[in-house]
Amino acid sequence: MLQEYGKWPESAWTGGEAIWKSAKKITGGADVGTTSTQVAILADGALCGFANIRTGYDFKAAADKAFALALGNSGLKASDFSGIFATGFGRRNAVYATGTTDEVLAHAKGARFLYGKDVNTVVDLGGQTVKAVRLYDWDRVQEFKISDKCATGFGRHIEVLCDLLEVPITEIGEKSLQVETDPEPVSTTCYNFAFPETVGLFRHGYKEEVYSENDVLATHLFTVAWRVLGTVGKLCPLDIGDISVYKELGFTGGLAKNPGVTKRIERKLGVTALTSEYDPALAGAIGAALLA
Amino acid sequence: MKTFKEILENRHAYAKDWKARTGGKVLGFYDTYFPEEVAYAAGLLPLRLLASHCEDALTDRLMYGNCYCTRDIFNQFMLGRYDYVDGLVSIESCQWWYNAFDTTLIEFPELWSHYLFTTDYVDARTSKDAVFSELKIFVKRLEEWIGKTVTDEALDNAIDVYNKNRALLRQLYQLRRFDRTAVLGSEVMEIMLANQVMDKAEANVMLESLLPELEARAPQEDGVRLMLIGSETYDAKLEKLVESLGANIVTDELDNGTAYILNDVIPMKNRLMAIGLRYLGKPHSALKDNVWRRRPEHIYQLYEDFQADGVIIAKQIYCHPHGSDMYAVWKLLRERNIPYHTFERDTTLPYEETKLGVEALISMIKPGMTRLHGWSK
Repeated sequence: MLQEYGKWPESAWTGGEAIWKSAKKITGGADVGTTSTQVAILADGALCGFANIRTGYDFKAAADKAFALALGNSGLKASDFSGIFATGFGRRNAVYATGTTDEVLAHAKGARFLYGKDVNTVVDLGGQTVKAVRLYDWDRVQEFKISDKCATGFGRHIEVLCDLLEVPITEIGEKSLQVETDPEPVSTTCYNFAFPETVGLFRHGYKEEVYSENDVLATHLFTVAWRVLGTVGKLCPLDIGDISVYKELGFTGGLAKNPGVTKRIERKLGVTALTSEYDPALAGAIGAALLA
Repeated sequence: MKTFKEILENRHAYAKDWKARTGGKVLGFYDTYFPEEVAYAAGLLPLRLLASHCEDALTDRLMYGNCYCTRDIFNQFMLGRYDYVDGLVSIESCQWWYNAFDTTLIEFPELWSHYLFTTDYVDARTSKDAVFSELKIFVKRLEEWIGKTVTDEALDNAIDVYNKNRALLRQLYQLRRFDRTAVLGSEVMEIMLANQVMDKAEANVMLESLLPELEARAPQEDGVRLMLIGSETYDAKLEKLVESLGANIVTDELDNGTAYILNDVIPMKNRLMAIGLRYLGKPHSALKDNVWRRRPEHIYQLYEDFQADGVIIAKQIYCHPHGSDMYAVWKLLRERNIPYHTFERDTTLPYEETKLGVEALISMIKPGMTRLHGWSK
């Protein structure tokens, strides 16, 4: 069987019985996205189960599978939850959800869970769109921007690129950072243009004769970072008010695990990306669970 | 009696019927800076050319660039939907309007046409003289075309009809004031759009009958109150989407919204000058907000007058006047801590993508922050 380089590893975990048995309140969140689906279970506000899987072609099947994986062998049922909120483009397919919430608020809440209450700028690097969110010091969204072009396909772009270049998705970030300077970006409009442009470059011997494979990766990840910067740049400029609070930034979404994108954004903005013990892809689901 | 919604949906049939009833000519125009009173006084039906959402397989080969609005109007000419239009007028506006006007005339050279210069600097000292001079030329050309004189009496009547129309529409807007919201944003937008393709005397009769009905409605609680600003709009889909999410568009700053109705022609002995001053003095469009940059403050005033809780900025893709204008608007909204959301419209309104942003804006405002429920952390 051919290796599918763009496939990232799925994950799931369910905490021990002691965690959720003694809990007074159990809530759930499902983030059913275009590329990936996550479910998070919180017991008294602490993470006690999660799943992070690829959505594939069936939103409902993905939502059900992720929920089942997060529940694991805990014996919990949907009726045991005080509330389950769904978010993401496919939120309506989480039939077990008791309510829905928008992705902006869900990721903002989730980012505060992952990175602490001091995070004021959140950038969700999703499979389809990028959302940049600025939060007040208290728990409320001050401003947000969403990438607005069609077929933005940020995360999906990377998956397609990995298959094309035959490089595992977990390695491309570090490889792309090995270049001294980033080459010119491929099309910054959308991956539908970037993909044939890359194929065209190969035909002309780009990969073998002009640049290395790392250069090709670098030009792509620079392109993605460039598009993210375009969205983040529309947020309230940093010269208004106290800029010190904006020196740190919390990335969420699957692409947050790609240093080839995040490091380039950090360098360009002069900010530091916060780190968390949790998978940043879970932010939307955790945020939805907090809101439930 | 037909409703405004029915007229909007069957606007081509309405104009054809008007021609059959009156024997008059239809003059299509693109931009709301066109002084409709002058054409009305000449016995014409000034018809605002509105875009639709029809398939376009023709215009790409015939015009380069262009926003969806202007491209679609040209497409409708190519499809024969505007075959009843006798003449076309373009005023000095954005390059896309001019390109659509020019390309339409290449394809349909039989149309009577006129290019009416309107100064980009509407506040300048000599603007009124320039516009007056242009209006004189326009009247002369109209008289040659229709074969009769545009009299002072006809101009006075047109001014009265249009002033009354604007006053009635202002009353309609008042029905969404904070203390008593009786109508939805989508209803108002449909009336505004239908009104622009109608004979204003007929529209006035309909409005006079409709307004008491609307006023008699029980006031509704409209949840989150939003203001809509941005590029031209040709349907009420966005308003309906907002309403489906538990909010209401309570006011706007759109060329075919408040900018169309907020000021009247103040009668003067020199009728053309009076009409010219009305158009120079109307709320500035994004293209003509030069020198003094009055738009941000004007938008803020409307926001306060209608007690809105947040702002939606819907820019048409490739609309450069609003592309450059919105940065000044963003600055003011940020400085005054007004929640807002900006997005770009394309040929259609992608439901889920648009909903995502609007829903996020509403949930950003909703928890205890609306004017109805008071402001709090």
